[in-house]
Amino acid sequence: MSGVPGTGLAKGLAVTLGAMTRRAHTRQYPDTPPDLPPRSRGVIALLEENCTVCMLCARECPDWCIYIDSHKEEVHTPGAARARQRNVLDRFAIDFSLCMYCGICIEVCPFDALFWTPEFEYAEHDIRELLHEKGRLGEWMVTVPPPPANDPNGEPAKEEAAARKAAEGAAG
Amino acid sequence: MASLPEVLGEPIRFVLNWGRRYSLWVFNFGLACCAIEFIATSMGRHDFIRLGVIPFAHGPRQADLMVVSGTVTDKMAPAIKRLYDQMPEPKYVISFGACSNCGGPYWDSYSVTKGVDQIVPVDVYVPGCPPRPEALLHGILQLQERIAAEESGLGGVSRPDPAASGRSASAAAGSAAALTAPLVPAPE
Repeated sequence: MSGVPGTGLAKGLAVTLGAMTRRAHTRQYPDTPPDLPPRSRGVIALLEENCTVCMLCARECPDWCIYIDSHKEEVHTPGAARARQRNVLDRFAIDFSLCMYCGICIEVCPFDALFWTPEFEYAEHDIRELLHEKGRLGEWMVTVPPPPANDPNGEPAKEEAAARKAAEGAAG
Repeated sequence: MASLPEVLGEPIRFVLNWGRRYSLWVFNFGLACCAIEFIATSMGRHDFIRLGVIPFAHGPRQADLMVVSGTVTDKMAPAIKRLYDQMPEPKYVISFGACSNCGGPYWDSYSVTKGVDQIVPVDVYVPGCPPRPEALLHGILQLQERIAAEESGLGGVSRPDPAASGRSASAAAGSAAALTAPLVPAPE
């Protein structure tokens, strides 16, 4: 409205000049891998040995995008009164075209068979390839990051406290 | 008539595809939250102009690539189809996010189209809810590989229209069995 004409232009050019002297913050993704936070939700990995076919993940999934098939197997132990039964996983598939990455399946898994992985490079030309069967879900296991360390200011884990108590009891 | 690669040879095909893959004017069909990730990819931090993807074409008639990002509703589907038909022929579609891949969390909704591939042919599906900006960059790289490998003609490679083929297939089959067939074979 008032003042010297051209102040707006000068202000704008000053901002441009300021930005010119700083380094660009563009991430060179295909050449350098992105620094993803360890808890980022890229894809879900399956540790097949831990799965007991309890179906909790498939039932809790809001999208119903987990497919599980199994059969029962009789285990004969010599000396046992009767044969035991155990579940054998036949098929475990997650449809990543449907998955909403809520992580409820990972939360409810009582035996830690499912893990988050920060990997994200699985775009496909065919939507049927986005249905990852258990072999492909198992391949993601190598990319699972280690769990975060305990907070140094936090309460120690129950196991640690119990172990220290036992050690003190043995010493005292 | 002989096809163009036979007449002009492999070098011309390479040059045509090289030009096409590194000057993709992109047209963002942003329908929901995934569009925010698309915008993040187009901005300074991820900056897909590095890959030759030029954002914000003035209209579909000047675009080569359509990125459908977000929930496609049945009410929006005719508009997507219309704008896709307006794009000139070497044209590609990236389906970005769970909703446009197959309906996503809304796959059971009465009003959501179960995947944009029901109305337009899709080249690359990017999974995620929403996908990371890097995932879109990876999808663009996949698309560029596909463009480099394709047999290019003067008008690009025409792909079958899923809506038309679906109609003709169901008319040929004469039953709903073709429409309700499972995508993957059931396990033994």
